[in-house]
Amino acid sequence: MQVKELLRSWKTWISLALIIFLLLVPFLGIGGGYLQTLAFLTFLYVILSTAWNILGGYTGQTSFGHATFYGLGAYTTSILVLRGVSPLVTMPIAGLIAGIYGLLWGYPCLRLRGQYFAIATIGVGEATRLLMLNLDDLIKNIPLLKEALQDGVLTGGATGLMLPTPEDIRAYAMGFYYLAMGLMFAALLTSWWVKKSKFGLGLFAINMDIDAAETVGVNTVSYKNLALVLSAFMVGIGGSIYAQYMFYIDPQTVFGFPMSISMVLMPTIGGIGTIVGPILGAVVYIVVQDRILTANIEIGTFTLSLSTLHLLLYGGLLVVIVLFEPKGILGLQKRLVRRWGKRAIEAVPVKKMA
Amino acid sequence: MAVMIEGIEVSKYFGGLAAVHNVNFRVQEGEIFGLIGPNGAGKTTLFRCITGVYPATSGKITYKGRDITQLMPHATCVLGITNTHQVVKPFSDMTVLDNVRVGAFFGRGWKQGEVKDATKEAMRVLEFTGLAPKVSFLARNLTLPDRKRLEVARALATRPELLLLDEVVAGLNPTETDMMIGLIRQLRDNGLTILMVEHVMRAVLGVSDRVMVLNFGEKIAEGTPKQVSTNPQVIEAYLGKSYAAAAKAEQQSNQQVSKQ
Repeated sequence: MQVKELLRSWKTWISLALIIFLLLVPFLGIGGGYLQTLAFLTFLYVILSTAWNILGGYTGQTSFGHATFYGLGAYTTSILVLRGVSPLVTMPIAGLIAGIYGLLWGYPCLRLRGQYFAIATIGVGEATRLLMLNLDDLIKNIPLLKEALQDGVLTGGATGLMLPTPEDIRAYAMGFYYLAMGLMFAALLTSWWVKKSKFGLGLFAINMDIDAAETVGVNTVSYKNLALVLSAFMVGIGGSIYAQYMFYIDPQTVFGFPMSISMVLMPTIGGIGTIVGPILGAVVYIVVQDRILTANIEIGTFTLSLSTLHLLLYGGLLVVIVLFEPKGILGLQKRLVRRWGKRAIEAVPVKKMA
Repeated sequence: MAVMIEGIEVSKYFGGLAAVHNVNFRVQEGEIFGLIGPNGAGKTTLFRCITGVYPATSGKITYKGRDITQLMPHATCVLGITNTHQVVKPFSDMTVLDNVRVGAFFGRGWKQGEVKDATKEAMRVLEFTGLAPKVSFLARNLTLPDRKRLEVARALATRPELLLLDEVVAGLNPTETDMMIGLIRQLRDNGLTILMVEHVMRAVLGVSDRVMVLNFGEKIAEGTPKQVSTNPQVIEAYLGKSYAAAAKAEQQSNQQVSKQ
């Protein structure tokens, strides 16, 4: 019965076609691998935005410090790989370390509510970035921690870390393409499971009224922390993939504030607190970023490079969304359906009554 | 009858302000215990000390002989104490059914999280409180009386043994008040112990077995509704000294009349 209904829905067919197309992308070689890179980045960002959505969307705790997890994941992987650990083994370790770090700052910060939590996370994000930037100098004279340095380098400071590139880069990239895709589906499945489970119900209750949630027996402190740890774990794995795919990381990129902002932006663009929203948001974000970073506007002899303006554009976009359509693209879609599809809406309750 | 909840010299200070000061109380199992007092008397604060929102500064609260003074609200809820809020706090973007399901899932006895069982329990409670026709409404779209009922339903879904009702009748019209009182009586008949804060005297004096009166954080009277409502100290707290004197004089003259 359910399968039949699924088969009849056009949505199923569209998503199926899309998945098959995505599976074939590495073999098609569209734009000389350009599409493959773009798709890979989209998978990665879907993981990030889905992870952020568990804390920010479901639980309602807006975090501006998720770049700390991304960076920690990337650095954990790079540091371990440079010390001879197999890259794939480093991935769960990267996730775990990010999760533990999440617990470390989450426990004190999550005691704050609403905007106070958001502000605290900005501080945590910046502090972590500066710490990673200066870590080598800080520990080089401490007896025990000194051992972690390799040729005087642990995090590499502002220069960052370079990973060795494999010989067959094309096969490597293809492998990572499928790995990222698989992990993206795992992330979406996790998100779906959380939403349907008792855990998710508790998170939504916390989102809507934390005091009421507490009185009906939701252990709000541990639920919020669990959501943060889960979210951090997923972002940490995302960071790990990024480091392995790019072969080069530096604190300004992976720990930078723009990274945190992008994780807030994507679910907000798509539709906060939903499963599909973060996907839509990530796609829009990646495509827009890709277009804008390379676009130039020519006014007579004067050329304006839009890449310098892209943060301004995102900031403006965020303001517009929050002011006019806080539920993002999905909210907009619902509103449009309500306005132009009145008949369809009216038909639904009648059907339910029968 | 066993003692359900007992407070020994419970005090709660906010800085130098004594919101509740050395209050002793004892509620028996199966009782409806009213808590009244003028505005700012510390009724809600005492409630919050019991549920654990604000742990008491000093003193001890025991529930069935167990010390619960320092427990968080979710922990007392799992033990079987829950409350409704004075200002209703529905989960506004959830349906009525989901609101109650949160209670059913996280209260007592649903550790496994069986979705079907929790839904069944939620439906049972909704039927009991008369919200069953509105299960699929979003909580934000309910009227105030329905929100108050939802508040009670959500609390009931946690399967409490001790229910703390904070002004459930306030803001309701007489018909709705009668319905709510009927509901409270029914709950007591089903074996619940109820502690209620209420300003509507008709409701609280009509339904309570015993009443405690707080004023400026201290207990000034305790007894049956009749004893309390004729207590000069209580009248003074509510209406001022001159009324208390007038009431006293009236009482004395009544006594003289009855003597004669």
